[in-house]
This record gives sequence, C-alpha cells and structure tokens, in this order.
Amino acid sequence: MKGESQPPKWATRLLHWFCASHLVNDLEGDLLELFAQRVRKHGLRQARQRYVRDVFSLMRPFAFKKEPERYPKPVFSPPAMIRNYLKIAFRNLAKHKMFSFINVMGLSAGMTACFLIALYVHFELTYDAFNKKADRIYRVATDVQTNSETLRYSISPWAMASNMQNDFPEMEACARVRKEEMLFRKGDLKFVEENAVLADSTLFEVFDFKLLNGNPKTALMTPLSIVLTETSAQKYFGNKDPMGQTLLWGDQGELVTVTGVMQDPPVNSQIKGDMFVSMSTYTAHRDKNIEQEWGSFGATAFVLLKPGTDPATMEKKFPAFLQNHAGKMMAEQQMQIRMLLEPLRDIYLHSTRPADESGNINNVYVFSAVALFIMLIACINFVNLTTARSVERAREVGVRKAVGAARSTLARQFLAESIMMCVIAFLISVILSAALIPLFNELAGKSVSKGIIAELPFVAILLVAALLIGLLAGIYPAFVLSSFEPVKVLKGRFTTSAKGVMLRKGLVTVQFTISITMIIATIVVYTQLDFMRSHDLGFSKNQTLVIQSGVGRERDVFEASIMDLAGVRSATASAAVPGGLNPQAFSKLENKRGEMQAANLDVYRVDFDFITQYGLKIVAGRSFSKKFATDSTRALVINEAAAKMLGYATPGEAVGKQFDQWDRQGTIIGVVKNFHFKSLQENIKPLTFRLIDFWNGKLLSVQVDGKNVKQTLSAIENKWRTMHPDQPFSYYFLDEFYDRQYRADERFEALFLNFAVLAIFISCLGLLGLASYSTVQRTKEIGVRKVMGASAASIVTLLSGDFLQLIGIAFIIAAPLAWFAMDRWLDSFAYKTDIHLWTFIVAALLSALVALLTISFQSIRAALINPVKSLRSE
Amino acid sequence: MKGTYLGEFEEVVLLAVAMLAGEAYGAAITNEIEQQMARSVNLGAVHAALARLEEKGLLTSRLGGATAERGGRSKRFFSVTMAGIKALDTIREIRNRMWNAIPKPA
Repeated sequence: MKGESQPPKWATRLLHWFCASHLVNDLEGDLLELFAQRVRKHGLRQARQRYVRDVFSLMRPFAFKKEPERYPKPVFSPPAMIRNYLKIAFRNLAKHKMFSFINVMGLSAGMTACFLIALYVHFELTYDAFNKKADRIYRVATDVQTNSETLRYSISPWAMASNMQNDFPEMEACARVRKEEMLFRKGDLKFVEENAVLADSTLFEVFDFKLLNGNPKTALMTPLSIVLTETSAQKYFGNKDPMGQTLLWGDQGELVTVTGVMQDPPVNSQIKGDMFVSMSTYTAHRDKNIEQEWGSFGATAFVLLKPGTDPATMEKKFPAFLQNHAGKMMAEQQMQIRMLLEPLRDIYLHSTRPADESGNINNVYVFSAVALFIMLIACINFVNLTTARSVERAREVGVRKAVGAARSTLARQFLAESIMMCVIAFLISVILSAALIPLFNELAGKSVSKGIIAELPFVAILLVAALLIGLLAGIYPAFVLSSFEPVKVLKGRFTTSAKGVMLRKGLVTVQFTISITMIIATIVVYTQLDFMRSHDLGFSKNQTLVIQSGVGRERDVFEASIMDLAGVRSATASAAVPGGLNPQAFSKLENKRGEMQAANLDVYRVDFDFITQYGLKIVAGRSFSKKFATDSTRALVINEAAAKMLGYATPGEAVGKQFDQWDRQGTIIGVVKNFHFKSLQENIKPLTFRLIDFWNGKLLSVQVDGKNVKQTLSAIENKWRTMHPDQPFSYYFLDEFYDRQYRADERFEALFLNFAVLAIFISCLGLLGLASYSTVQRTKEIGVRKVMGASAASIVTLLSGDFLQLIGIAFIIAAPLAWFAMDRWLDSFAYKTDIHLWTFIVAALLSALVALLTISFQSIRAALINPVKSLRSE
Repeated sequence: MKGTYLGEFEEVVLLAVAMLAGEAYGAAITNEIEQQMARSVNLGAVHAALARLEEKGLLTSRLGGATAERGGRSKRFFSVTMAGIKALDTIREIRNRMWNAIPKPA
C-alpha cells in the first residue's frame, strides 16, 4: 500500500485505544478493506473522511466489552491484588505497633478536634437561621446622640412600633420583645423567672416559634395573657393541660391566663424565654401612656419587611420619620435619635450593641484556624512518619518492582494504605466525638450539639474529609516510596535523601511553630483573665450578699430585722450593684463653662450608707448624709469620669455645681474615685449617684462576716421566710456575680487551653515517632561512638540536639506571630495586661522541655544499650 | 437471551447476512446494504447490529481468511442460525398477512 493512500493514523490509534482486544483485529480489517474500496470509488479525501467517521461510529458499548473469560481468573487479577495490599497494610500496622498507634492516634485526635470545632462554628454561624423569613427580619437599633456622647442601643423608643406600622407600607409586621425578671406564683410554687419575656402578639408572625396549643394570631393579644414553653408548662402544671389556667404574676399577684403552649425556642435563637407575657400587659395595663413616649426606650423591635424591600432605601426614610414624630421632643431634650436596621442573622456575631447573648466572629475565626492548624499538625505527622519509614519498606518496594509491579500500581498501594489508616482514624474519632460532645457542650457553655446522632451529616462530611486527608497525606509518601530504584534498593546501598530529611525537619518546625504560638496565646489569655480577676476594682466585693428584698417599708423592716443577726456587719439598699444592669438617665449638669450640659448618664440609686459599705472613696465634697434633709431630693454624687466629662480639671471644682436629672434639681455634693461598676472590658463611664425613692432600690447588699457565712445565710433566709412566706428568697454573692461577666472569656480560655494541649500532644506524638526512627537508624553509629569512649550523656545530647534546634527555629518564628495576634486580642479590653517577656520564656522552656522528655525516652535508651549488641545487629 | 424483537436496521442486516450466504463479514455486509438501500451506512452501526443479533442467537460467527486488502487481518464471517431463519420467516409471514389484509380498491 502506498504511503499517501493510507487512512489517518490517529484514527487507527484511537480505535486501538478504546476497542476490546479480541475485536480490534477484525474491525480494523473491515475498516481497511472499506477504505481501499472507497479510495478507488470516491477518492482519497472522501475515503479518509469515511474512515474517521466509521472509527467514531464504532465507539459503542459492544466494542468496549472484554472477551468473556475462558479460563479461571489468573493469580494477579485485581481483587486478589487488593487483598494482598490489604494484607500487607495490616501486617505493617501490626508489625510497627508504635508507629501505627502514633499515626492513628494523632489523626483521630486531630479529626475529633476538627469535628467538635466544626460543630461549634456551625452552631455559631447558624444562629437564628431556623427562622424561615430570617433574611427579611431586621432589628431596629437606635443611636442616641447628646452633647456628651453617642449611646448605641439595641432597644428603641416605645412609640416607634405603632408609628412605623402606619408610616411604612413596606413593613409586614413588627414584634417587640423585652426581657425582664418576673415573679410567678401558683399555689406553693413560686419562682423569680429570669427568662420571662414581654412580647407583642406578632411574635409568631415574625419568628418561627412553634405554637403547640393556642392561636398564634391571638395568643399574645390581650393584656395578662401568657404563653408558656413546654418546659415551663411542665414546671408549673405538670402533665395537666395548662390552657386557660392562671398564674399569679408580679409582686401584686395579678392573674395571668395561659393562652398558648409553644415548643421550647431553639438553643441558637436570640429570643429565648421560658414565659412569654403579652406586651399589652405592659403597654395597656401597667403603663398606659408608654406607647406615646418617644423619649423612653425599653423594648427591642424586630421588623419583618415585605419580600423585595431594600433595607437601605427604608433606612433613608428614617430621619424624616423621626423628625416628623419626635422632632419636638428631641429638640427639647437636646438629643438626636438615629434609627438603623440590622439584619437578624448578623446580630449575634457582628453587632456590638448590648445583648443577652452575643457571639464573636473573631472567636469563630480563631477556632476555625485552630481546627485547621490541628489538622495540619496531624497530617504533617502522617507524612513525616510514613516517609521516615520508607527506608524500612524499601526492600518491599524493590522486590515488588523486580517482580514486575509498575510504579503506578505501587503508588496506588501506598495511597490505599494511607486512606485505610485515615478511615480507621475516622472510626475512632467518631466514637471519641460521640463521647466528648457532652463535655464539649459544657466547655463551650452552651448546648452546641445534642449528640452524635443529630450530627450525621457532619459525620458524612468527616468521612469525606478523612478520605481526602488520606489521599492528600498519602500522595507524597506514595510518590517517594514508588520512586525507589530496585537495583539500588536491593543492593542495600540505600539512604534517605537529603531532600527528604530537609522536608521532615521543615514540617516538624511548622508543627512546633503552631504549638508554641498556641502556648503563648494560652498564657496571655490566662494572664489577662488573672489580671481582670485580681485588678483593684475600686470597691470591695468580698463577703457581700445581694438579696432581692423588695422596696420601701417592706425592705426597711427586713433590713432592720437582719441587722442584729450575728455575722451581719452592715446592709444597704440600692437599685443596682456593680456588674449588673443599671439605668441611664437624661441629665443636665453644669459644666466648666457654666452651661447645663446634656448627657445620658448611668445612674445608681442608692441608700445613705451604700458608698461607705462598698468602700468607695470620696475624693471631693461629701457623701450622702442623713444630717442633710435636702439630700434625698436635691443631691447628686458623681464619679471622677463625670467630672472630667464636664471639663473640670480637679474633682473639687465640680462640687456645688447644678444638676437636673429625672425630676430632681439641686447640687453636686461630692465626687467619688472611679471604680469599675462594669467589666474591665469597658472604660469607666461617667456615673451619677442619687438617693433611692420609696419605689425602687430592691437590692439589699449585706456585708457578712467572713466566718460562718453559711450559718449567717440560713439565719437571713429564715427571717425572710417568716416575713415573706409567699415570695422566694433569691440572692447571690457579689463577687461571683461580678465575675460572671468574664464567663465568656473564661470559656474561651478553657477551650483554647484544651486545644493548645492537644496541638502540643499531637506534635509530640510526631516527634516521638521521628526520634525513635532516627535512633534506630543510628544504632550502629551510637555503638561505634560508645566503643570509642563516648559517654551516655554526650550521646543523648547528640541525639536531642537536632530536634532542639528545630524547636528553637520554631520559637523564633512563633514568638512574633503570637505577639502580634495576642496584642490584637488584648485590644478588645479597656484594661489589659502587657505581654510580658516571661510569657515567651515560659513558652520556649515548656515546649523545649516537653520535646526533650519526648525524645529522651528514645535517646536515653539508645545511649544505654550495650554497643556489642548494636554492632552485632547486622 | 434478550427478546427476539427485531429492529428495522437489525432486520436489514440479518437479511444481508442471509443474502451473502457464508461470505458475510463486516465490510461486505456494509457494501451490500449500501448498494441495496442506496444510502451510506456506518461500519459501527453494522457491527453494533451484528453484535446484538449474535447475542440474540440469530447469528453465529467464526474467524476466517485474511486478504492483503485488509492488511492481512482476519475476517469474521457471520451466518444465520436456525433461529435467525425462523425469525425472518415470522417477520415475512406477518408482513404478508398484513399486506393481504389491505382492502383492494374495488
């Protein structure tokens, strides 16, 4: 056949590629025959075209089919080979128990950490996501600007909701909620419910709370109606049907009727409550004019916008709306209100406004990073240990190659092994996670997960991740192992390449960099918390009991009755205590220029001896005194921060100046030294003290003797029970109450500490593996050295030195990284410690010590071994 | 064995094999069909039909003589089995019956 009249070669090659071997001969024959005929008949061009077309037309299932087997399967058919791989893999696992254990342990520890953190992150990110209309729900937050400062509220004026309903057609519904402590009674049962919520009747329209019983449209419509959660229904009514039943509500004991029972709100809902009382109870029953008030803030308003409404356009209408309704009031009170919409899903993680519960997007980032790093450390272990062991498997590779294994087959074998390892680790980690979830919930301080059964999608994701990790971590070892040249390997002239050693050292350095960073971070978090706990707060919080004692004469009588109890030193009433909530009042104070400066100031309403009992220092003027009859209506004590705000250079200048606050006018009589009435995360704000009115001041702070606190407490309780048989005795210790503000930070510390320990643990597992490997490699060298007279100590130094060097490098990288990160973290605190030098020294010593201990186990054993044995080991 | 239903193209291929009587192999069948039906046919289609017919037991094949024109590659000769002949007969019978049933224009 002539060269030019040949069919396209590539088409023929294509045919050979896809076609089953038992068919290809015959088919190619047909193709060639037709081609030859067509060249004669239609010419070369057309014949070649038809040839190509025919080849493509042959790409059908029948042509791919393998010839049916005529003989039993040969020995090297794939299933048998896979069985062999598995067998070898298991033998390897069993033979090197230590390595396998380290590998699987490290991986499963890493996976478990990742899994738990993923649950946590998911929990945080899906806050409020159970609401199907969440993307249309916004919180109306307000900024209140006075001459002195801007207050950023999450609550809004009472009059806003009803006016918005009229003025904004793009609004579908608006629901206000207000959390309050309320007293409930039913027969002998009496509870001060901390999680009671006043809510508009539209609550069930805006949010997806499931009402099990009752009409969602009307349940919270009329005053004095209440919707219970399943839990609280159980608490008050047991298994009886609560619908239509009544409870006694509040101190006056008004009757509220149960109009609905709802499912407990999801854990990650912003609006949490055990009892939902209709908002009209407050707005139409208790305080009838409040709905017209623009200057009074109280409830958090959530609006549901109609689909397709742009919140930004709506926000543009707010200034005119406010000017229209509240313009006069704002001008009178010298303040400006600004309204803004916050998307519901963003509030929990991103909003910095006051909230019952708030997450921190930074924590989410930090923990995600920690999870990734821990996984990285575990993967590095895996790669390191597997490649380090490659020498031992070099013979196996050599033999397999000599017998005829292709490189790709070997790579596949090692990949399969690493995937198998990951799957084993996965199984262990699922069991571990299942066991650890309750503990983790406790550590995180919230019910992140109900248990492993509820997290099956996550388990599935983890499995996929495990397979992926197996693949990724296995690629490098598989690549290295399958590249050995059989001749060299079998001759025994094999050494690990310098490149491999460098890589392993690099990876160990990375591991320890991460670990050391985490150690430093943990120490800094700890010192900051310790700093906050031991910082001089400017008041004494020890041995102080705070009792909810009611107001007016009732409280005075009770106070008098406990004063003569042994162990009670002093008692004083107030409306707020440090670490708790206190109201803010619109106030006008005379400033340095003689003007009446307007500001919203924190208010403490206190009894005469509050300032003395709390150990607050008067720096100018005097404290409240019963000697001055006018003190109860015309006196104000401010703190240094307030004096500074008014422009006075020394506190003394403020004494005797005018004030106008909440229906009281008079003079500033004294200035107290700044004290931390809020957590140390905040700067000390201007604060005013005034004497209590007869209707407030329901907190009684009782200073007790350090000895026999328990006896004193039960004596006080007895007094209470005899005087108020119908009310629960509720109290707390001030120091615990104050430190409660740091609970979130303490949790952060605890979580961080745990994961830092885990990171170090996994890193050390890796180090242990590498150290034992390298000592085994150097057995002979050590033997020779000993014979030549080296001491055991010098050998230990020799073996440990390499690794300590790596840890040194890791420290040099980690220190600035950790410093930078933690400096930023500390910036979120108004009062903070410095990052001390000793932090770094401790971290360096600690990591070096842990690493040394890990290595020394191996190196000391190697150093003590009898050289005769090691030299004979050939 | 799959159902013995014959597709239109399968029927044509089966007929072509029967016509070529012992000299039926891929290229020859393709040529025969192209001539008879006056249209171009893809070798792949023919072979796919042959494979299906063989699976149905209507054809058998054996490998046989190679020629220079085929680059020395052997031919796969197909022949119709008894079942194949019977299938063709049945089809023809059905067609005849139906033809006969067409009312003649009076």
